[in-house]
Amino acid sequence: MGGKITCTLGEVKNRADFIMYWGGNPAECHPRHFTKYTIMQKGKFVPEGRKGRTMVLVDIRETPSAKAADIFLQIRPGKDFEVATTLRALVKGQRVDAALVADTGLTVERLQDITDRMKRARFGVIFFGMGVSMTRGKHMNSGAILSLTAEMNAFTKFVCMPMRGHGNVTGADVVLRWTTGYPFGIDLSRGYPRFNPGEFSTVDLLVRGDNDAALILGADPGATMPQPGIDHLARIPTIVLDPKVTHTSRLARVHITTAVTGVSAPGTSYRMDEIPLPLRPALRSPYPTDEEVIRRIRQAVAAKPAWTPAPGRMVAIA
Amino acid sequence: MIRISGGTVYDPANGIDGVVKDLCIADGRIIADTDLTPGARTIDATGMVVMPGGVDVHTHVAGGALNFARGLVPENQRAARKFLHGLDRRAGLGGMTPTTFATGYLYAGMGWTTVNEAAVPVLSARHTHEELHDIPIVDKTSLVLMANNEFVLDLLEAGETERAKHVVSWLVWAAKAYGIKAVNPGGVEAWKWGKNANTLHAPIEGYKTVTPAQIISSLATIADDLKLPHPVHLHCNNLGVPGNFATTIETMRVLDGHRAHLAHLQFHAYGGDDWSTMRSESSKVADAFNAQQHLTADAGAVLFGDAVTITADGPWQHLLYQLTGRKWGNLDVENETGCGIVPYVYKDRNLVNAVQWAVGLELLLLIDDPWRIFLTTDHPNGGCFWRYPEIIHLLMNVEFRKDQLQKLPEKARQRILLADLDREYTLSEIAIITSAGPARSLGLSRKGHLGAGADADVTIYPVKPDHGLLFSYPRYVIKGGAIVVEEGDVREVTDGREFIVHPECDAQIEEYIRPLFEKVYTISFANYPVEMERLRHPEVMACK
Repeated sequence: MGGKITCTLGEVKNRADFIMYWGGNPAECHPRHFTKYTIMQKGKFVPEGRKGRTMVLVDIRETPSAKAADIFLQIRPGKDFEVATTLRALVKGQRVDAALVADTGLTVERLQDITDRMKRARFGVIFFGMGVSMTRGKHMNSGAILSLTAEMNAFTKFVCMPMRGHGNVTGADVVLRWTTGYPFGIDLSRGYPRFNPGEFSTVDLLVRGDNDAALILGADPGATMPQPGIDHLARIPTIVLDPKVTHTSRLARVHITTAVTGVSAPGTSYRMDEIPLPLRPALRSPYPTDEEVIRRIRQAVAAKPAWTPAPGRMVAIA
Repeated sequence: MIRISGGTVYDPANGIDGVVKDLCIADGRIIADTDLTPGARTIDATGMVVMPGGVDVHTHVAGGALNFARGLVPENQRAARKFLHGLDRRAGLGGMTPTTFATGYLYAGMGWTTVNEAAVPVLSARHTHEELHDIPIVDKTSLVLMANNEFVLDLLEAGETERAKHVVSWLVWAAKAYGIKAVNPGGVEAWKWGKNANTLHAPIEGYKTVTPAQIISSLATIADDLKLPHPVHLHCNNLGVPGNFATTIETMRVLDGHRAHLAHLQFHAYGGDDWSTMRSESSKVADAFNAQQHLTADAGAVLFGDAVTITADGPWQHLLYQLTGRKWGNLDVENETGCGIVPYVYKDRNLVNAVQWAVGLELLLLIDDPWRIFLTTDHPNGGCFWRYPEIIHLLMNVEFRKDQLQKLPEKARQRILLADLDREYTLSEIAIITSAGPARSLGLSRKGHLGAGADADVTIYPVKPDHGLLFSYPRYVIKGGAIVVEEGDVREVTDGREFIVHPECDAQIEEYIRPLFEKVYTISFANYPVEMERLRHPEVMACK
């Protein structure tokens, strides 16, 4: 079960007649999403544009995105998994318990109506945000939506996509996958990549106090991490590369000011659908790029005596 | 400068079949013996087998689809072979979907020095090239997906084949590709509405007149007209489906004398009506193929064990997901193509898998001209590339093959021909299907042979009675004149080159594409073509 059934954003623009946003507030968090990619666009196969598309919003509160939606489903906090699972059951024509559905803040009739609309769609898409992936249930919630999408393909074309943000987080994920095999939460201390979210992910390392130094690039954990993690960053040698003063740079031992990628430094940014976009700087910066700083640190480290048992030898472990 | 002395040389492109002779190398090329200046390093290859470095004509080693797969199967990665980092070596993982650096080490470690990444969307070609650059040592080519590109299909519908040719040409250069790939022509486009294209002569979903047959013959013509070094690289319709041999044979007829390369032929040579009646039709496919001198193919052989299926063939992957009930990844790319991923295990006790295993070997044994059928597993679809030596062993040793047959279910053995085939490959034929043949099909004139002027990509194997073992552990691998592998260890990490083509194209075609692009795509037109500066070691090959 599960997996990920997705597409590039242009497919949504050209084909989607059923668009569901779940646990996200694109009107405020991805303000160009409606106009560039989804409901407002006239697509190759949706020439009537907004009129040719149905938008459903699922959220726990009525955000400004609700104004854009044709249907707003307000669910009780922490009930995303239950709603997604009920939809999976209805899609397959299974019986559901009305009392349990009522507990989510919705009724069987409303969800049956959504199910019917999903099946009638020519091309449906579900965008899910942090209201799904970062609330109680976490990856179980995302898993339920991914499974719902996969199973919908027995009836009609259906895809889904996480609403990723925070600059080039997708790019970091993409590059780590091809260099190490894993997207995040990677430990290289044994000389080869290991993956275990919850053990090797940044927040867990910091909260446990496992690491004795930190190099931070393009992120501001000092603003978002739990307090024990922030306290640990302040305790250890923390080096920050950032164009600006941030919460993290204030508690760091070293802050190296770098050029702003995309404004005064070139590079590549991966969109949420993993399409690479070249960044062409419009300005010049007196500061070095992140890449240059890392390269020089790496050269300095390489000049030191190696700690590996047999330098330059590749050891393969069966 | 290197002299390889006393080795037994197999260089079928130059008619050399097991002759003891010296090879001389200078400046990355093979040179005539008389041109070698004194003082060269001598490698004593006495008693060893010397062959041109392997050329993989069809593999999936880089880009959005494979990287999607890496993310989808962390449990496979965890069980994979580990590569520790060293001063000049990057850490990584082997397994079904190796990391880029490990991919280079693994290919070179096996004696393969050129690989062809067989499926690249234009829209994410920039990503593919970033990954190709991070595959060290080996040289690379890539093929751009064209058989479901709506610009091309719309032009075929309008009957504008000449303009379609220029659009294809422009797209090949925009992607900085080496050739044209066609995957399930029309079927991937139909999949965007949840449908497929099962017959070659019916209009595809969303079009009034365009048929898969028309797409196939148009792209084959275009590849010929553009004088691309490699012909259209075709993944036929109905991959994996019982009874699909008829589609494959019909596809050969549709090609009607045009050059073409038929990818992973094993997946297209099944008889029967459903999974329970599936049987091998390799002899019918091989007979039809043998009669068509302008075609080449690769085996796409299956090995028992873990695999990850990755293909642009979205509808087939949906079917496979429904069959396996395992994870399913799908990624449709606007205006261009699709992609599907399903982890899979080939089991020797499974009737369908047993037939697949046999069909791959049968095609390799029944197609009589080794210059037209090449060794691949459609990595990682039929098995991982680093398992090629296992297939070589099966091809070279009939006794071993027959032993393996005994493991299959009785029901499967009645539906295959393998037990009746006694052919054993010779070392020279192995050199053809792993190197000389694919190099010729790709039109890489400096690859796949050891004559003066060839790239100095040489693999030296110590002779062992077990051919699988022989091909697993080369004694030396030389790439571009550098000794990159010695005694099973990577000694020098070089950067590989990327071969691309710049076919002729009407200068006005960009102004035709731009408004269409701006209507259907979601990125700016200026960001679409891959900039030449993105490629680190490009070499533009002539179209002639």
